[in-house]
Amino acid sequence: MDFNFIPLAFGEIVSPLTIGYALAALGLAVHFGFTGLLNFGQAGFMAVGGYAFAITTVKFGWPLGWALVATVVGAVLFALLLGIPTLRLRADYLSIVTIAAAEIVRYTVKTPSISQYTGGSDGINGASRDFYAMNPLPDIQYGFGVLTYNNNQLWSILVGWTVVIIAAVLVWQLMRSPWGRVIKGIREDEDAVRSLGKNVTWYKMQSLILGGVLGGLGTVLIIIPTSLQPDNYGTQTTFFLYTIVLLGGATTVLGPIIGSIIFWVVLQLSDGILTLLVNNHLLPLSSVQQGPIRFIIVGIALMLLVIFRPQGIFGKKREAHFSG
Amino acid sequence: MVTALRSRPRVIRLFVVVLALMFAATAFAFSTVDSASAQSLSSAKSSAPTVDTTPTPAPGSTAPTTAAQSIGIWIRIAADKSNVPNAKVTVTGPSGFSTTVVSGADGRATVPIEKTGTYKVLLDKSTIPAGLSVLGDNPRDVQVDAENQGVPAYYLLGDGAAGATPAPGKTSSPSTSSGNTPTFAEVVFPRIATGLIYGLLIALASIGVSLIYGTTGLNNFAHGELVTFGGLVGYVVSGVMHMPSWLGILSALVFGGIFGYLQDLGLWKPLRKRGIGLIPLMIVSIGLSLALRYIFNFIFGPDLLVTPSDSSSFLTLGPVHLRFWDVVSPIICIVVLLLVAFAMLRTRIGKATRAVADNRSLAAATGINVERVIRIVWVAGGALAGLSGALIGYYQPVSWETGASILLLIFAAVTLGGFGSAFGALVGSLIIGLLIDLSTSYGFIPSNLKLVAALAVMIVILLFRPQGILGRKDRIG
Amino acid sequence: MADATKDVTVLQVGEPLPGVPKVDPILVAHGVRRTFGGVNAVDVEHVEIPRNAITALIGPNGAGKTTFFNLLTGFDKPDSGTWSLDGKSLANVPAYKVARRGMVRTFQLTKALSLLSVLENMRLGAGSQGGERFLTSLVTRLWRKREDEITAQAMELLARFKLDTKADDYAASLSGGQRKLLEMARALMSKPELVMLDEPMAGVNPALTQSLLGHILNLKKEGMTVLFVEHDMHMVQTIADWVIVMAEGKIVAEGYPDVVMRDQAVIDAYLGAHHDTDLGSLTGQLEVAKDLGDSFLVGEISDEIRDEKADHTMEATDGK
Ligand SMILES: Nc1ncnc2c1ncn2[C@@H]1O[C@H](COP(=O)(O)OP(=O)(O)OP(=O)(O)O)[C@@H](O)[C@H]1O
Ligand SMILES: [Mg+2]
Repeated sequence: MDFNFIPLAFGEIVSPLTIGYALAALGLAVHFGFTGLLNFGQAGFMAVGGYAFAITTVKFGWPLGWALVATVVGAVLFALLLGIPTLRLRADYLSIVTIAAAEIVRYTVKTPSISQYTGGSDGINGASRDFYAMNPLPDIQYGFGVLTYNNNQLWSILVGWTVVIIAAVLVWQLMRSPWGRVIKGIREDEDAVRSLGKNVTWYKMQSLILGGVLGGLGTVLIIIPTSLQPDNYGTQTTFFLYTIVLLGGATTVLGPIIGSIIFWVVLQLSDGILTLLVNNHLLPLSSVQQGPIRFIIVGIALMLLVIFRPQGIFGKKREAHFSG
Repeated sequence: MVTALRSRPRVIRLFVVVLALMFAATAFAFSTVDSASAQSLSSAKSSAPTVDTTPTPAPGSTAPTTAAQSIGIWIRIAADKSNVPNAKVTVTGPSGFSTTVVSGADGRATVPIEKTGTYKVLLDKSTIPAGLSVLGDNPRDVQVDAENQGVPAYYLLGDGAAGATPAPGKTSSPSTSSGNTPTFAEVVFPRIATGLIYGLLIALASIGVSLIYGTTGLNNFAHGELVTFGGLVGYVVSGVMHMPSWLGILSALVFGGIFGYLQDLGLWKPLRKRGIGLIPLMIVSIGLSLALRYIFNFIFGPDLLVTPSDSSSFLTLGPVHLRFWDVVSPIICIVVLLLVAFAMLRTRIGKATRAVADNRSLAAATGINVERVIRIVWVAGGALAGLSGALIGYYQPVSWETGASILLLIFAAVTLGGFGSAFGALVGSLIIGLLIDLSTSYGFIPSNLKLVAALAVMIVILLFRPQGILGRKDRIG
Repeated sequence: MADATKDVTVLQVGEPLPGVPKVDPILVAHGVRRTFGGVNAVDVEHVEIPRNAITALIGPNGAGKTTFFNLLTGFDKPDSGTWSLDGKSLANVPAYKVARRGMVRTFQLTKALSLLSVLENMRLGAGSQGGERFLTSLVTRLWRKREDEITAQAMELLARFKLDTKADDYAASLSGGQRKLLEMARALMSKPELVMLDEPMAGVNPALTQSLLGHILNLKKEGMTVLFVEHDMHMVQTIADWVIVMAEGKIVAEGYPDVVMRDQAVIDAYLGAHHDTDLGSLTGQLEVAKDLGDSFLVGEISDEIRDEKADHTMEATDGK
């Protein structure tokens, strides 16, 4: 039997998906955990940011810096577009509008008539040009065993985790400041905060923008070492992010990051175990049937988390920001 | 959160009148059935010629064609659903149209069509793998109406004797549209028809969402899976076990209701007892949706599942060609919706439901068994969604994500109509149905963006009338 | 004791009829109307709230008091009407701006921010904290000093409301009455001109009621104006300088507490409301009506009774 999947699963700690999802989940925690915004369209923010980056880099040839500006501007505009009609309304309207808007983005980028920019269903490759050009690491192999990386991969990992840590510090500072106090107050009862003279709608908008920008940058971290595929930003991506956020604890800064690591490692482990069992004819499954299992696991995990540990696996019960 | 179904006698009367008028109109339409085409109701593996509402573009339609219309051909082996490349298919049609195409590596080919009308699609048996034969009609007739992209002509190949179904191979009826550029009526009327039909199908599912929201406050993101469930039950009964269609539809209704009941019993009721808030409940419904969706995928595989139905024109009203199910589905929908309206207005349980939706604690205080009402709402919601799924199965192929793909349309419809209002859900559904079909006429927007139109309109409505067309505002303080 | 709590200054100009002009009004509302599906929830022709006085807004359940509060503070939009604070119009001003203008309200159903500490709740009430701006918040140095001031002010208020020992607990851990106190204290953090309290005593135990009464009287001493909604007629008589009576959305009577309690229109408003209300609210109203009836019957000696009650109040014993 081949047990290589175990080290490979732990290699997920430094995979682009883990890093990108950690950032996007941090953004979602800002929305959902800290502000109480029910954003079911974080995948949409991710897609908008990712496309803004990939199109400007690959199709327009913009340098890295300007492409990042485009990413941020894209996410900000998307937040304004969603926030203006819905932030004044009841929480569940935001959930419906955001999930709808995220799907609109996905369908739109797949439209054949604009595929010269968006790459249609195939997405966009090669957004890493400038980024790899800046790589100061010598071109040798790093790591050991099955976990070896070339210099570009290592460069992406280092920069990726650095960005995540900077973002975490930023969110931590914000949440301990008076700004964060208003934000958390809004989560508890927005009318109360309004009665105290705070412009609640504007704060919610700021939160939507902040979390959305983190989502957009998360995609950048994913697509630089890989590629941009529109169908990776469907509703299930948002649901994954919710699972991640709830795993680690929605009202903490480290929660989403640790949640992302646990999520991907566990998913990879379960995939590995499943493959092992199937290959050795211990489970009567076809390879086609193996695919859906991880989603079933995630779905059930999400339900169980919300019901039994709404505070996350590390959080204290009373810190659950909704009563369980 | 008390946006709810209030006793609005006037509005509900209107509801009944509208339904009755639609019923009358359909009945009238029924009486003018084109007798020439009424006879051939043989089964042919095909699906909606006029509407494709799966968000994933229909096979063969991904390649943009310059023509206004096209036929999408897809050839697969029934046993393992593997694609058959290099099969030769000849399409003949009005004005001496004749083209031969060869299926690609994905088993697909697209035939651009300039002129509307009925086309004959013939799969050359000598080009398919040895030992296999064509299941279903060959040649078969395909009706291409204005602006239909990727009208499906899907072939399944099986072993053994040709065609288990004794298909007489209907000879092409003379095309109604003479093959010129489609007129305004030819473009718009079929879309209005399909839009209304689709709207009615969505309405069945939307009413459940609306009632569940009204009585429990839950936005059920797993409602789409109830629809998928119904579609799959219909497929298993009629498509796999080859039982009559009515049995498939009835089973979907019954099992849908049972599924709704079990969901409430096993999940939602215990969660209500635990006093879990609405937002966590919404997230639970998301998890449930994800899990169920992929359980369906696990069991039925990732492919489109086609329930046999007749794709030839059954009823022709001017430029509108309706297949058998295009006529029967809306009638079933309307009858069921009338029954629901009657139940809501006249029966004790209907009145109790409205009372609970209006004010739960008040209803409980006046002796209404709220839990019982909620249970019934779940059963009814599940049954209606199941019915909707089964009927959708006769309209387009179902798959594990059929429900997930219409969930947003359901929400759009319910939001448009005002949450918690059953009548609003119906109006919203019809608007959404019309919108997705009309918005793509004349290439106004690309056809794969038709969902976008519906969702965008929902967002715009929220801007101006957040409580929906018929909804009520919340109270503060 | 009565003299310590009550002013004898004249507040109004002319006969104390509904809508009477005040000598020094702080809030003036005119033609404010709000309907809910055909029902006139609020239909106020004209009303003025006297400055630096304690005004009670009373009326049977469903009279429209809370709705009127919501309208005045920007939490709901009227069908028509204008109103102004210190002569500056407040119509169509969003709720948060109303609060910044110095008109702060509390809610009938308390809105404590459960998962913030009591102290954080208080801090949130303070105005002009630059650290509440996104960019400023990133540099601790820019808001630290103001934060210390706010904390000192908050602790002082908490001490006054006997909540200082709870400062670091989650607000969720407070009792219902303590939450009422917290909400009131929080509203005071911004040093408002006009405090609007929606049933500050509802559900508060009698012992706490007494200290709340004291706090409200103190607010006036500090120069604030108080407008409060209350069903407890004893309390209204004890601390209010002026009483406004609403019924079915309209202002049906205004005047000094002892006079208003004897007003036939007021009694009609309460008793008349019985005929078409449901059983649930009837019991509550009967008590109120009984109180009213008492005052009405024993009108001659009502002053005495009131003084007696006020004494009890100050001694923090049960008012009844
Ligand atoms: N959002 C709303 N929708 C419909 N009707 C409402 C709404 N808000 C208030 N009402 C109605 O308006 C009327 C006034 O209600 P309001 O809450 O202002 O009364 P109140 O005087 O505060 O009563 P209470 O003393 O019981 O608090 C009532 O008839 C109530 O049913
Ligand atoms: Mg009130």
